Amino acid sequence: MLTASIMTDMAKALFREEREIKRLDGWFLVKESYMKHEAETAGMSEVRRAAVLLRHAVEELPLSISRNAVFAGTQRDAFARSYALINPSFRVETFSGYCDPSAVYGDIEPNEEFPPERIAAVKAHDAGSEYVRLLSETYRNADRDTAEVAYFIEQVTGHVIPDLRFLLKYGAEGVLARIGEAEKKPLDGAQREQYAAMRITVDALLCLAGRYAALAEKQLRTASDEADRERLGEMVRILNKVPRRGAETLPEAIQSFLLAWQLMCLEQAPNPFAFSVGNADRIFEPYRAAGDLSREETAALFKHFLVFFNVADRSWAISQNVIVGGRDTEGRDLTNPTTYALLDAYYDMNLPQPILSVKLHRNTPAALYEEMGRFFFTPGCLTPSLFNDDSLFEVLARAGIGREDLPDYSIAGCQEPLIMGRDSGNTTNSWLNLGKILELTLNGGRSLVTGAVLDPEQTQKAPLERLKTLREDFYENVEKYVRRMTEAANGASEALSHLPVPFLSVLMGGLESGYDVRDVRHQGTKYNGSGCLIHGLAVAADSFVAVDHLLKERPEDAGTLLDALRCDFEGYDELRAYLRACPKYGENQAEPDREAAEVAGRVADIVRAARNYLGNPFRPDFSTPSTHLLYGYWVGALPDGRRSREMLNYGIDPLAGDAHEGMGFRILSAWKLPYEKMCGGCASHLGIDPRYFREKEYPALGREFAHKVVTPLFFNEKNPNLAPFYLYVNVTTPEILRKVLADPAKYAPNGVYIMRIHGTFVNFLDLSPAIQQDIIRRLDPASASIAG
Amino acid sequence: MRSVRLFARGFNYSQDGPGNRLVYHLCGCNMRCPWCANPEGLDPDREGADVREVPVPALLEEIRSCAPMFYDGGGVTFTGGEATMQLDALCEIAAALQKDGIGVAVETNATHPRLPALFPYLQLLIADLKHPDSETLARFTGVRGETVYENLRRAAQAGVPLLVRIPAVHGFNDGKEDAALIAAFLRELNALRPAGAERIRAELLPYHEYGRDKWEKLGLPYRVTDGFVAPERIRALEDTLREAGVSVIHT
Repeated sequence: MLTASIMTDMAKALFREEREIKRLDGWFLVKESYMKHEAETAGMSEVRRAAVLLRHAVEELPLSISRNAVFAGTQRDAFARSYALINPSFRVETFSGYCDPSAVYGDIEPNEEFPPERIAAVKAHDAGSEYVRLLSETYRNADRDTAEVAYFIEQVTGHVIPDLRFLLKYGAEGVLARIGEAEKKPLDGAQREQYAAMRITVDALLCLAGRYAALAEKQLRTASDEADRERLGEMVRILNKVPRRGAETLPEAIQSFLLAWQLMCLEQAPNPFAFSVGNADRIFEPYRAAGDLSREETAALFKHFLVFFNVADRSWAISQNVIVGGRDTEGRDLTNPTTYALLDAYYDMNLPQPILSVKLHRNTPAALYEEMGRFFFTPGCLTPSLFNDDSLFEVLARAGIGREDLPDYSIAGCQEPLIMGRDSGNTTNSWLNLGKILELTLNGGRSLVTGAVLDPEQTQKAPLERLKTLREDFYENVEKYVRRMTEAANGASEALSHLPVPFLSVLMGGLESGYDVRDVRHQGTKYNGSGCLIHGLAVAADSFVAVDHLLKERPEDAGTLLDALRCDFEGYDELRAYLRACPKYGENQAEPDREAAEVAGRVADIVRAARNYLGNPFRPDFSTPSTHLLYGYWVGALPDGRRSREMLNYGIDPLAGDAHEGMGFRILSAWKLPYEKMCGGCASHLGIDPRYFREKEYPALGREFAHKVVTPLFFNEKNPNLAPFYLYVNVTTPEILRKVLADPAKYAPNGVYIMRIHGTFVNFLDLSPAIQQDIIRRLDPASASIAG
Repeated sequence: MRSVRLFARGFNYSQDGPGNRLVYHLCGCNMRCPWCANPEGLDPDREGADVREVPVPALLEEIRSCAPMFYDGGGVTFTGGEATMQLDALCEIAAALQKDGIGVAVETNATHPRLPALFPYLQLLIADLKHPDSETLARFTGVRGETVYENLRRAAQAGVPLLVRIPAVHGFNDGKEDAALIAAFLRELNALRPAGAERIRAELLPYHEYGRDKWEKLGLPYRVTDGFVAPERIRALEDTLREAGVSVIHT
């Protein structure tokens, strides 16, 4: 085996190579291969056709193995350069509320190899599919509601947590044996086709491994360098063993994992965003232990594992989540030596992807906090998201997750808790904009942003009456929009069901159920639901409070308020100042905090009552992954004093700038929200000035961070309610980030300065300017101050 | 019903008393220290002052609602401005919170003649000893020091947990003679402690300019031109205090 130090150097060189890649054409080749072979699949079921086409694509894709690679495999051929967040040309105002399934073809820049006609041919072929037809129809039907984002819907690709443990342990042979056993049982037609298709995709996996083995062997024959020969020889040996058979060592397990991951992503090209690894330390520890690898050796192998999740120049494979730590159902801690080796690998590499999350609980060992200190307190270093197992176990149990499955919850993408390998959550299926609904409620269905009548069914009322009935009208409208939103969201899922994913289904319970993950008639996974990301909690609550105050203190101004909103407060400075001074959520004030809890609870109940394509409830998720910015752009002025087109509040947080008395009050307000109803997830951020911490060394700083931030928020014995379960932090200041932007060569000499932005972290320098400014503004240091 | 006038509130950890604390900044101050870090609290009647007037029962309710955050022996600290400008309300609040088992600390310039009325209710008294010479104190802050010294002696005698804070400002109190005088005074306070009471603790607060922007925003002249004290001088001052048997701390 190569030394840890050499492997580390190679991993860093491998990452540098990856960042040099400017084009991503592999996904197009996959699509082109599908087009080429489609005729052969005439008459086949959709699922079998998907498997056959995937098999062909795997046979034809050009493959390569870098001189710096310890493992074979790449995700490069599954992603397009299309993720808005890290696209420098992205502008907030360009967000249209519509998801054109063919738009991705615009992300390939034509050149000699890919002339416009070649791109156009595949695009035209794709546009004729049943999937595109149904999806386009769904968007058309919802376009009045989505034009200014009263809600948004999308088909959810990626965004689940496959369970690869069976495949790693028993190999493809074990999987095929399971399929064989299942096929002996009485099956319906859909199941028979599904098993046949899964068998074909497992064969595709073996084909992929075989092609890499042959390539490595070829390179071995011409390798002159001794170290190179050793590396390639080991690679050939491993590829000839896994994933066909079960892995026995950590290198074998990682190799098997990466090839399965590659195939799983290829199957969903070009949109496999947010596939997540799950409880990585638990998955890999048995293999590390079997070889008794040291922490350093283990970390070195994981450095290559981490590079795999970075695609091309901007790490386009966004939101793939790796989680460590956590507890079992009895409260016993589950960290292990692999936990710490993974953290070492993360820290040393400091890559833009994959995202790191850490599960915490009351019995989390001090050592884990000590190890995290270096992440939080090194400028420009990635930081983990933090999850509270004690709280999440209860949230998930109340949502119907079996006790035996609770330790297997993990995070898909940013903050969505799903059960590894058993839960198809369609997490980002629908997005609800409470700010827009409130605006339309206040203005009789007319948009304040464009003047368009977006909701002609709304009744017109006199101003005083309008304000007096605002709450009931608002909730009535929320119900109406949720009804329409979920209908559209189900339409998107229906459309997507025409693109079945038999290989993913192998890893998601398909071996037991015999149904596809995306099947909308039969449930292929043990758990199923659809997500709804709810935006504008604090602005809605603060608006109700401000209206209450106005009605009580100056009811004669009811008409003036509605006029002021129409004018975006131009000429109404005094009234706006009055509204801004009304109590706001986030400062431990009873009135707005109670209102926020009420809004969260009622809206969550409405969302939860909606049913998806299989009759399962939607899952309320109070998260706004940069969409508080995009959706805010389409929301007019509101009674809390927020001006038109300004951002909404982030997740469950107060509106940036509205809570300025420090973290203690933020925490006390946050405790009052009904987390038990947020089974789809929630998001919260604290931007903390490093000067609030006194310790000097990273381990001690980690303990201090736990003591001042984590324990008060998550594990305070005196909190009478179910505690919050999610937090991300940036320990920095707006001034530091402005300096980084002004002089990146000085503050980020290697071009990478990692920042947390909602559930993911990103290279701050890769972001679009609007998102960079959002990060700076939301640091909102006064709201997270620890110094009174 | 009494009210309290506040200009800021927030939590901090062990800076103004033990554990995690809710800190209220009360309006008004009788001193005019040119290095003041919170000049917005000097004059509550100033036009545009961000003042919140809270009835005592409402403030008590607010404090009680924050009690879960008073971990590690924390509680409430009243500072300023000068907290004792509202002494009667402060006594009422401190007495009520003592009954609730919530620890109260007060940070004060110790100039109020009736300051000892607070002593029975305090978890901690944080009192300034800006200068041990009354004339010098008056010249820089506008207030003489006799009452300060007397209050400190009475606090020491009463066994009140006492933290003495000394803002170290160049040209004001960083000379060798100043240090010797301060040390002598603190030695005297220690000698006044009843048997079994903890020693007087003292903390030097090196001059900083965190308040300079606030002065400028308020349109007030910031008059300190060279207030910084070199770190080695701070260490020397601390050594002098230690040699006098004083427990020097850093919060």
